[in-house]
Amino acid sequence: MATAKDADRVRPALTLTKEELEVEVPEPRLNWMNQWREWGVRVRPGKKGLTLGSLNVGLYGEIPMNWPDRSRNPRGAIGVTGTPPVAIQIKDKVDLWAPCAADLYEEAIQRRWAPATDVDWKAIHPLPEDIERAICQVCTEICQYAIIDVEVITSWQHQMAYGYHEVKQFLATTSLDATRRHEAFRKRALVNGGGLGYEGPCQVSRLLLESSSGWTETVTGLILIRALFTQVMIRYLNRFAYNGVERKIYECVTQDFARLITYGVEHIKYALAHAPDKQGSILTTLAIGFRMFNRDLRDPVLREALAIVFGGGIAGARNEGMLVFYEMLDEYVQELLDACQYLRLPVTIEQLPRVFQKDQRHSADS
Amino acid sequence: MDQQTQNGAEFELDLGWMEKQGEWGTHAEPSKNGLTLADIQVGSYAETPEESRNLSGRPRGAVPRPGSMPIGNYTVRTKSEIWLENASFLYEEALQRQWSSATDIPWDTIEPLPDDVEQAQCQMATFLTEVEFVAGDVPSRWVSKTSPDFYEARNVLMAQVMDESRHMDVFRKRALVNGGGLMRATGATAGFVGGIDLARDFTEMSSRLHLSGEGAVLTIFRMGELMAYNDAEKAIYRLCAQDEARHVAFGVMHMRYMAANAPERREEIESYLDEAEAGMLTDAANPAGQLNQTSESLSIMLGGGRKYFDEGFRKLVSIRKRQLQEYQKRVTSAGFGDRFKNGRSRLGHMMANVAN
Repeated sequence: MATAKDADRVRPALTLTKEELEVEVPEPRLNWMNQWREWGVRVRPGKKGLTLGSLNVGLYGEIPMNWPDRSRNPRGAIGVTGTPPVAIQIKDKVDLWAPCAADLYEEAIQRRWAPATDVDWKAIHPLPEDIERAICQVCTEICQYAIIDVEVITSWQHQMAYGYHEVKQFLATTSLDATRRHEAFRKRALVNGGGLGYEGPCQVSRLLLESSSGWTETVTGLILIRALFTQVMIRYLNRFAYNGVERKIYECVTQDFARLITYGVEHIKYALAHAPDKQGSILTTLAIGFRMFNRDLRDPVLREALAIVFGGGIAGARNEGMLVFYEMLDEYVQELLDACQYLRLPVTIEQLPRVFQKDQRHSADS
Repeated sequence: MDQQTQNGAEFELDLGWMEKQGEWGTHAEPSKNGLTLADIQVGSYAETPEESRNLSGRPRGAVPRPGSMPIGNYTVRTKSEIWLENASFLYEEALQRQWSSATDIPWDTIEPLPDDVEQAQCQMATFLTEVEFVAGDVPSRWVSKTSPDFYEARNVLMAQVMDESRHMDVFRKRALVNGGGLMRATGATAGFVGGIDLARDFTEMSSRLHLSGEGAVLTIFRMGELMAYNDAEKAIYRLCAQDEARHVAFGVMHMRYMAANAPERREEIESYLDEAEAGMLTDAANPAGQLNQTSESLSIMLGGGRKYFDEGFRKLVSIRKRQLQEYQKRVTSAGFGDRFKNGRSRLGHMMANVAN
């Protein structure tokens, strides 16, 4: 065992003034000593280091279904009573929990990246103007999504009880991911002779920002509509990328989205398992969300810009590019339905607006 | 669509949006640090409005869409309320210096400590876990209220939220790694009037959080070598100090911008500083302050055990002085140094009573 004496030898000295050396030292009260709920904890690092999840041992791993304490007492510490509460509204585990949050948090940190230096910006080369304009328009809309994602997540984070710190910490990584996404796509728009484009429509964003009924409902829109769609879109953009700069951005962003979507799906699953009556509000949120999404999709800007990227220019956009766009939309719908099936949510393709239904789409277009 | 495909007809395109794009022909060039936020401040994209009328979450420089709904809940729409000149630099540095508490701390260097020292370490870790919560939640809340036209400042705050999350987790890890556990919370960040949570104005919040609160903690982290018993603890304090220095820099640089660009708010800011100074030694959020729970645990850590409490307390007094001196330097750098000459500041009085 290291002793205090040993420790003194390795710690640097602090030279005190004469005045400091003569300070009269008060008698310590030490009334904080021997005050704990569980002592003798010795978590050891595993092959992934000392992870957040590995700390959940003994009493420290007890995560109650309700956390009524509206102070910042760390879970497992002896709490303080009699202090004015802070603005915590989400106090039930069912309203925010996902069992994978601690693992996703550590993964987010391990997979951190910096758009400034992890992307080889010098490798970009001029593109035909129609393609550059289309890419810049897509970048503009992804930037806007990212801005809204940050606002959605940060407007909820401080309302979450401290007993569920794993979720709060994971959400800190997701809002930084969204910040970085905004940064990366803004940089792409401004690096290759282009610029930012036209502001995107805002109905889905409005749903996300104004969904004040609950975090689970917000997650439903944020993940099953916005994030899942954006992830599929980025996967297609990667397939049709024009250079390594874009490919690198898409790959990094896809990883970030995968964690966000995992949290969201697992949270909804947890919520439904522990509060089946939430199914109604989740389905209603989805129904409203799809109406909003339908309105956004009626706007031709993103659709046409993507078709130009996929079709290799305006000429190709009119046939091949637009077909790829609809293929992408179908893939999104399939992933959404798969997620709903996993969550045992009774959502069928017939319930979605016609633009999402392959065989009904022409009547929606007409 | 299918009908169109079956007929072999081409899709009609509108393409009107191609005429509605922001400044065109932008060639941002990477610098020696890669393509940084500073490097993309070119042409009109570098222009930040004094008053933001962007209420729909539009990226700065994009062409507004007529009829966009004001969906953003932005109360911070004036540049001077949030701005600082070096935000791009602080953000890029934050991304470059992200670290992992799981793998960048040499946890295996921790060996059992005498019980009194372990208790002191665990009490301090409990306290730091608690205060790092507030330092993450409050900036996060302000980001959602700030116009994206000031995205550079928002980005720094988001990086701070991430940093604080990591600080919270590294101190929890420290408490649970060496045969100890969490101890008693302090309630230091409860919803008191004048607390960080309740500030209605961003600059008011920043003066409490960045300048006085985190400034005091930064001094402690910088002195971490004095209270670290192994390489793991040294690494924790060193890495946290690096992060905390950026947060404090945000506060100083924001206040400097505010002083230069909103002179009509000077007196108001002096009032925030009055309040901050009044609480510097008495406020429970300062780990070296007068709350016995934290000051005694620090004294034990600094002294080398309960037996050397007196020696540790004298070092604590020295650290308190440093906190006050460093605070004075920051406030002076922010453009409010006159208060130390014209008698407004109580710092001199506090310096004389630092041992109480």
